[in-house]
This record gives sequence, C-alpha cells and structure tokens, in this order.
Amino acid sequence: MERILRSKEMAEIILLPVRHHSPACAFHVERTIEKLRPGVVLVEGPENADGLIPVMVHEETKAPFAIYYSYHDQSERISEEKAHYKCYYPFLDYSPELAAFRAGKRLGIQTAFIDLPYGDILAASGQGKGLRKEEEEKSNYNDDYLLSRNEYLRQLCERTGMRNFDEFWEKYFELGGMQEESDRWFGNLLVYCGLARENTSRESMEEDGCLARERHMAERIREHAGRLGAGGTVLVVTGGFHTPGLKALLTGEDESVVLSAMLKPWQGAVEIADAGQTSEAAPGAVSAKTDSVGAASQEVPAGGSRIAKVPEKDQGVYLMPYSMEAADALNGYASGMPFTGFYQKIWEQVAESDTPYGDAVLDMIVASGKETRRKEGYLSTYDEICACAMAKGLAALRGKKEPGAYELLDVVLSSFVKGEYNLASDTPVRILRKHMTGNAVGALCRQADVPPIIFDFQEECRRFGLKITSTLETEVTLSIFSKEKHRQQSMFFHRMQYLNTAFAKRTKGPNLQLKKDRNLMREIWKYKWNTQVNAALIDVSVYGATIEEAAVSLVREELKKELGAKEGALLLTKVFEMGIRDQMQSVFDRVHQLMLADTDFYSTAEAVRSLMMMEELGKLYGSALEFGELIAIGSRKLISLLPAMTRIKDEDLDPCMNALKLLYRVTGREGMNGQERDDYIYALQKMTLDGEINAGLNGCVHGILYGIGRETAGEIEMVCKGYLNGTKEQLFSTAQFFRGLFFSARDLVFIGEQFIRMLDGFYGTVSQEEFMELLPRLRMAFAYFTPREIDRIAGMAAGVHGKTGRDIMERQEVFPDWYAYGKELDEYVKGQMECAEKTLPL
Amino acid sequence: MEQYIKPPVEIRYREELEALKANDTGSKPENWQMSPRAVRTFILGSQKPILYNGKEYTIEKKYFGNDALVERCIVTLAGNRGLMLVGEPGTAKTMLSEFLSAAISGVSTNTIQGTAGTTEDMIKYSWNYALLLAKGPSREALVPSPLYVGMEKGILTRFEEITRTPAEIQDSLISVLSDKVLNVPELGDEGFLFAKPGFNVIGTANTRDKGVNEMSSALKRRFNFETVMPVREAAMEKRIIVNEVEKLAAESRIAMEVDEDVAEILASTYHELREGTSSYGHRIDKPSAVMSTAEAVSVYYQAMITGYYYGDGTLSMDSLVQNLVGAISKENKDDLEKVKGYFNTVIRDKSSKEGGLWKEYYEARKWLR
Repeated sequence: MERILRSKEMAEIILLPVRHHSPACAFHVERTIEKLRPGVVLVEGPENADGLIPVMVHEETKAPFAIYYSYHDQSERISEEKAHYKCYYPFLDYSPELAAFRAGKRLGIQTAFIDLPYGDILAASGQGKGLRKEEEEKSNYNDDYLLSRNEYLRQLCERTGMRNFDEFWEKYFELGGMQEESDRWFGNLLVYCGLARENTSRESMEEDGCLARERHMAERIREHAGRLGAGGTVLVVTGGFHTPGLKALLTGEDESVVLSAMLKPWQGAVEIADAGQTSEAAPGAVSAKTDSVGAASQEVPAGGSRIAKVPEKDQGVYLMPYSMEAADALNGYASGMPFTGFYQKIWEQVAESDTPYGDAVLDMIVASGKETRRKEGYLSTYDEICACAMAKGLAALRGKKEPGAYELLDVVLSSFVKGEYNLASDTPVRILRKHMTGNAVGALCRQADVPPIIFDFQEECRRFGLKITSTLETEVTLSIFSKEKHRQQSMFFHRMQYLNTAFAKRTKGPNLQLKKDRNLMREIWKYKWNTQVNAALIDVSVYGATIEEAAVSLVREELKKELGAKEGALLLTKVFEMGIRDQMQSVFDRVHQLMLADTDFYSTAEAVRSLMMMEELGKLYGSALEFGELIAIGSRKLISLLPAMTRIKDEDLDPCMNALKLLYRVTGREGMNGQERDDYIYALQKMTLDGEINAGLNGCVHGILYGIGRETAGEIEMVCKGYLNGTKEQLFSTAQFFRGLFFSARDLVFIGEQFIRMLDGFYGTVSQEEFMELLPRLRMAFAYFTPREIDRIAGMAAGVHGKTGRDIMERQEVFPDWYAYGKELDEYVKGQMECAEKTLPL
Repeated sequence: MEQYIKPPVEIRYREELEALKANDTGSKPENWQMSPRAVRTFILGSQKPILYNGKEYTIEKKYFGNDALVERCIVTLAGNRGLMLVGEPGTAKTMLSEFLSAAISGVSTNTIQGTAGTTEDMIKYSWNYALLLAKGPSREALVPSPLYVGMEKGILTRFEEITRTPAEIQDSLISVLSDKVLNVPELGDEGFLFAKPGFNVIGTANTRDKGVNEMSSALKRRFNFETVMPVREAAMEKRIIVNEVEKLAAESRIAMEVDEDVAEILASTYHELREGTSSYGHRIDKPSAVMSTAEAVSVYYQAMITGYYYGDGTLSMDSLVQNLVGAISKENKDDLEKVKGYFNTVIRDKSSKEGGLWKEYYEARKWLR
C-alpha cells in the first residue's frame, strides 16, 4: 500500500492496489480496513452508482450481481449517432471492492465510488478504445487488461515458465497469499503494477480514458481528504494499475519519479530465477521496456475540465443478478480471474482450513470424478487417488505452495482422460471446467431499485392477469382476432420475445415470420417468470422506460443495419405481430427503399410474399398500410430479373418455381393494369428460348404458359419429346422437366392420352438401372398429385396396355409346390456350376 | 561417441546429466538418478548456467511445445501409474520418452520395440535353451526381457509402439503394472520377481497410422495418457528444425551452418500445409501425408547433405524442393498436386512480396512432379 504524507489540513491518504476478483486480495483488503479503521473507504467505480451501495451490502443480496450502467447519447457527446451504450461491473463474494463495502458496513465506515460516471468515461475514451470497444458483446467496467495483457507480461510468463498471466498470478499472489502479511502482499502487488504501468504507453492510457478517470479519482480523493481534515484516514481501493498514477497526481510528483521509487527495492536486484528452482514469492524485474512514461509523463493537459459532463438523465445505473457463467473470464468477457466457481470455494474455505487450495482441489477432483463415473462409467476411486497424489507432485515440482487451478486441470487431463485427448474423450475435462466455473446465480434484496421498464413489465402483467410471483410455467390461449384484450396480450408477449427475455414462447398460432399456420385463429403461449427475465429487462432498459419503448428503439436500431429486402419485410412482420403502430410506417418506408435497392431475386420474391401475406392479414392485425404499390414494385423488379434466372441449380428450383407462381398470382391481381401480365408472359417466353434452361424450370414455365393459354398441350408435348429423344443427359432431365410441369400444370395429364403414352414411352426407353436412378426425381414430380389423382393416372396407364386399374392390383397366385420346384431347380443348377468350376483347369 | 549413428541420450548428454546430478539438491524418489526438478531442467533447460568440475554448463531446452505436459509426465512416472504418450507420428514422443528415462534411470535403452510380431516372452522372459537343458530352470538360464530388467533393477522400461503389438500381447502388462510382481512359475518358490522402487513403464503409441491395435480398457486404466500435439507455432517449429539439424550435422561431421532463413521457409511450409491456412490468409488443401516437424527436419538435413557432398557446400532451394517431393508423395498421388497448388498460390504471393529466398523457392517449383 502506498501512504501519502499528511499535511496540516488534509487527512492521510492510503492507496490500496487491487486486482478485481481475487480472493487473496479481498482477504487483505478486509483485514487492512479492520486494522486501520479509516474515516472513509473510496472504491474505484462510476460514482453515479453510489446510491446502490446499501443494496449491495444488504444481507438478502447475494453475489454474483453486477452493476448495470447504461447511457443514451442523446446530447451527442460521443458521436452523432445518438447510440445506446451499456456495460457491466460484476461483483463476486471475493471481489475486493465488495469486500471493502461489506467491511465498511460492518464497521460503520462511510464508503463511496469515486470514478467518472459511465457516460463521461465513454466521452473520454477514443473510438473503439477502453469501454468503447465494439467487438465485444458485453463490455465490462473492471476489465483488467491493463494488468494482464502486455509485452512485459508475456516475457515474464515465459521466463517464469507459466502458461499465462492467470497462472502467474495464482502462483505468486493467491497460493499462500492469505498467510502473508498484508503490507508485504500489497507491496509485492504494487511492484508488479508499477512494472505493468511502466510498460504501457501514455498515449494508450490517454486513449482509453484511463488518465481522465485517474484525474477525476484524484480530485475526489482530495475532496474527501480535505473534508476529513488532519488526523483522518482515507483508504482508496483501486485497480493496481491506477495506484502509481493516482500517487503522482496526489503528490504532484512526476509519474516516472513515483514509479522508480516504487520499483527501487527490486530494480535489477532480483532476477527471475528458473521456475521450479525457486519458490520465491515475489516477482522481479524484467528488462522489457516499451517506450513509456519516460520523459513525457505529466505534459498531458491536466484536470478533468477538458471533458464537459454528460447529462445525468441519459445515464442509468441499476443492480442486476449475475451468474458465475457470465462472470467467468473464460467465457470471453475477460473480467478478472477465470474459474469463478473454484475461487468461490477457496473464499468459502479460507476461514475453516489452513490449506484451502488443497481442499478445493480435492473437492473438485471428487466432484468431477463422480460425475464422470455417472456419465462415462469408467472412472474408479483409484483414479481419483492418483489424481490427488499427482496434484501434490505437480505443485511441488512447480514450486507452488499448494496445488492450484492449473494443477487441477492438469491432473484431470492426465488421470481421468483415457486414450488420446480429443472431442470424444474430453468429457472429464469438460465436466471439471463446468465445476470450476460454478453455477451460482445472484439475487437482489427487495429494496433494490429497478429501472422503470421493470415496473412497466409488472404493470402489464397485472393488466393481463399473468402470474409472476411463482416460477412455474403457465399456458394461456389467446383469441387474438376476436378479443381486443387478447390481441393486446399477444402483442405484449411478442414484444417480450423480441426483447430476448425468454419470458414467453408461442407454442401454437399463426406464424407470420415463417408464413405458417396462417389459418389459425388462436395463439397458445407458455410463459414463465424468473429472475433472469428481470436481468434481461434491465439489460434492455437503456432502450426505453417501457416495454413498448424498448421494442421501438430496438426496431429503429435494426433499421440502421445493412438489410436485404427479405430481412426488411421480416422485420415488418415482427412489427406487425408486436403491434407497434407508430413504427409501421417507418419500417414500411425502409422496406420500400430496400426493395428498390435489392437486386437478389430470391430475397425480393420472399419480401413480396411477406408483403402479400401482410396485405391479406392487414385488417386482422389492424394496419392501415397500403401494400399494393410496394408489391407492384417488387413484382416488376422480379419480372425484369426473370430472364436471367434460367440457368439455376437444381437446389434453387423450388424457390424459383414458387416465385414464378407468386408472380402469376400478383400479375393477375385486381389493380394491376395488365401491362405486368404481358411483361410476365414475355419474360417467360424469353426464358423458354434459352437452350440451357434448367429442365425443371422449363417445365414450370411451359406449364404456366399453358395455364394462361399461350401454349397448347401439343406444343408442350413437343418440348417433352425434345428431351425424350435427346442425348442421354437430356433424357435424364426429363424427370426434372415433369416435376416442373406438374408443379404448375398438373391437369395436363388428364386431358387426353398423349401424356400418359409419352410417359409410358419414356419408361420404355430407360433401362432398369437408369430407372432406379431416376426414381427419386420421378417421385418428386408425382408428389404434386393428390392420391386420388395418382390412382386415376394409374388407371389410365393401365388402359394404355389394355388393362384396367384393378388388374394392376391383382397378382397371379404362386402355389407352394411351384415354389418348391423352382427352388430345387435353382439349387441343382448352382451345384452343377460349382462342380464345373472345380473341374475346370485354372 | 563417434561409433554410433545416433548415440543414446545418456551418452550424448553425459556431461549435462553429471552436472545436474552434482548440483541436485532436491529430494528424489527412490532409485531415481536425480530429483524431479532436475529432470525438468534437463528437458526444459535453464537460463542460469550450472557449475560442474570447474566448467559452466547451460542446459539447453530439448523439448519444445508444452512445458506443462513434460511436468505431468515426470510426476506421473514418480507415481503408481505407467505413462502413455499418444499422438500423431513425428511429434517427438519417442524422443521425450528417451529424455525421461535417461534422466530418471540413467539409461534410455531398456526398451521393448513393439511390432505385430511381438510375443509374450519378449515382454516377460524367455529361456536360453542350452542352459535350460543342461541345468534345468534357473535364473541363469532365464533370458530377461527389458520389462524384467526394469523390475529387477528399479529402472524405467520403455515400450515403443505399443499399439502395434496385438491386444492380447499388450495385456500381459496388466498384472505386472498393477501388482508390480512378475511370476516365473518354472523357478518355483523363487520365481517371484518383485519390482524395485523406481520401476515404471513409458509407452508410446501412434493413433493415426494404419495397422495399429486398440488398447484394452483394462490396460488403459493402468496408464496416465498424455496426448502429444504437433507444434502449433511456426516460429517454434523453425527453432526445432535449426536445433535438430545442427545436432545431426555435428554428429555426421558436416561442417555447414544451418541457414535460419531456409529453416524458416521450410517451417512455414510445413506449418501452413498442416494447418490449412497461410499467414496471408489463403485457404490451402491439406495433404493427407503426415506433415510432422520430424519430417521437416529430415527434409532440411537431406537437402543439406546434398549441398555438402554434391553441391558447392551451400543448401540450394532446388534440392530442398526435391527432398520435399520425396517426403510428401508417399501415400497419395493427390498430395503432390496439393503442394503444387500451394506453391502456385501462397509461395507465388510470398515470393512477389518478400523476394530473395522466397523467390528462389518459388522458382524451384519446377521439381514438383
């Protein structure tokens, strides 16, 4: 820890460096607070969350939980996009920050956050830097990349023989860390943090808002110290990376001076010895310097004045229950240490055991051994014994005081996995990983403040009489088109679904998005409430104060994305289902734009289909949108694209034929001026002229032309014959041609005998093997007929051969003695042939 | 040392081993030559030189890729279970097992070489029939197997290519590994050989080759398995090639420097063909042949010898590519086509961007046929 000398009018300031989510650190923070009994404990964290501290330390509040910060950039402080931002600050039982708050409550010490509010941090960060990193789905306030990811660290790990920073940290700070004196422990951490800071460039610290935050924190610390006056003590708990910076700001010294003073006892003295050769518990100096503090240091414009404050009303801050899975760094959120479940165990066992790590490792070996045995069945107790012995051996070999998380992983890999390690054999390791992550979910006390969207949700649930006091699944049936209240309820469910809350799911009912079951008049929903629903709602609370508002903002966000006509129309169906009237027009306009811009045939066809469906259902869903023109635009576009669609692949045949059928329907609609129909026919005729047209599509086009009356059965027969008399490959595509033809004009078969005769002739031309090869495609072709029609075709086919349909069904009887005779004859011939084979000279 | 093509580890590194033993302060399991930490240092190297007989020895790193695996192996051998190294061909499983047994037991040659024709008496014991007839069954007439020797002396027994031996023969190890006793019924009451401390078995097994047998689960239970993966970093692969070729050259007395740049080209070729993507992001068809680092070492070494004896004492890209062809077109004809494709895309782009050696390498593609 770093003491800053008291002056006459200020309290003594003690800076305590921490790493987020570290049991040893939490332990020492707690102990230090107890020992020093400071006047105030200040903790790194956006200060607009101060109001949440009483809830955080309430007995009923159970970790893991997270502070959820949101910011809506309405004042364009960050960019012109007026975007929504959010981030999380997760707390576990063994987070030093939470330990500080809890100790504060127990001892009656005032506690407070001191960092810039979330919106201001964003405003101070460069594009794509710090909390404004865009690639990460969830951004974390307490991401300790500054401590764990830099070149200095990479070299340090390599030279100490550690796999990564987390193993390094565990070995030197966690294992046996709690037995150490707090002063010494913090001293070691400070040296490490100083080195990490020395190897981070000042520009990057400026870019990710780090320096602006430090300036603000220093300001707050000074205020508190001034308030307490001489004789008081201010204890400051911040990420270790900030400690040197804060000290420099508070003392007015140059940062390089502060750093070199911090590192002096170590500089050059200790060399990182061979891993394994020593169990020295302190990290030493490694000469890996990037151009860092050096000369530049304090030239950056001082003070937070550069940043104008962002408006309070645009910022939100709430507590939400969190889960171990979400908090585990291994799940990609990179917030502090991985293996949350493992360290939770350590934290729980600290008070009871002298060897918390050894005990936790044993527990985990037994737990995952038991589960492996249940799932895979091969593991014995002896395997577990060997694993425990090996964990101790590995710890001794690696110079660790006790086996830790990495020894645990190693022994399960060695002792539990039998055979080559691969996807098929890694079950024990996966089970262990799961145990090491843990499955605890946090809970908040009843006094916890929730965002308005939760109240809105509760209000809506009351309105519809939905039970949200139990977590049982309940089913409701809604007559959406006959009862207005049911329609309202369905809209609510749809909105909840759109907000990804996992609250309700529809098990039955019209599905506009997939265009299925449109004839159904009722919807059946299942809904279930649990704390995760609230967490999910808090998650979207940045988008609005009510469910409707949030859904509307998210729809608007989605409109900004790159979409195709198909996706645009799909979004419109969602808006339809959610009944967001005032957004319909804007989505509709966007679909209009997209329709004009999209040049993809299938996407446009799908969009037109969606639009037609919505037109049909418009009245039921209460929309006043005029789809006619949009559909006309879409169909004109499709017609213009048609001639280019001739050489499609077989797998595109279905969507293409469906599009042709759709166009047939659209161009025949009322309100079309007839020009469309002519263009359509012209396009179809043009398609048939392409010699390399896909056979199935060709069949479909001819079928439509026949249906419109532009072609006669005779002409189609000619085309058929063309395929039949063609070269072998063409002959084979006849089946595909029939498929297309029957899709659009299956009545052709029944208007005379020519077609049946032609089919009959076709079967005569192909050999047995070829027929077997064609069979699947022929089956597809005949799938468009109803069973009754197939029966009729069979009758006609029989007629061609001078039989009736009934004759096909009848088979001649085979008498048992005929069969016996035939079998005997077979055996005899076989015997004769075998004899002949033996006597033949080879 | 000169009379061997490849001297055993304990001879090649005699001085290093002696130095480590002399400086070893750690506690060691019974009958081990040195402590587990010293074994680790022998295999993974140390940064600080150690003093022995007035001379400084810097222990070089001999095994690359996965330090934690080596540590697990050492600890396994100190325990009650055998160690089984599995993995693709050419991932230095045998080399690692030699290092381990040379460091732990001082001898790496107590080895059973598994083949399809291995029989149970090769694993346990057989008889000197002349003596057997003359004196009857006695210890004198018994011909001990490496396993027998290991148990008797308390040293490690290596079992190479264990999966090549038929499953029923492999299973003769089961009772020995669990009870640590071998019964020779012919010797009557004196026929029990109880294993001395320090005895253990290191097996190596290939998982990808043709003609390997599955191990019974009873035998699997007696081993801790370690899967040795191919080296995943091109830089590491280059370092291995340079190290190994230097060693081979010194043994064959070829006075030629290893060219780091050529090694880098070769390492990146092997690496990219194995991974299926190039450093520029091209997607590459992977050959079916095993693209192991050991193969890369031998390709380099062959090309080096060619240059030394037939060329002008330098390694030419032409001979490198010629040897590459020999290494790749073993199993499948398509592999050569895939490598040609690789040259015509990846190497072409690299040669136009990097120039120099890459250009020569690209021009040598004419030998790919």
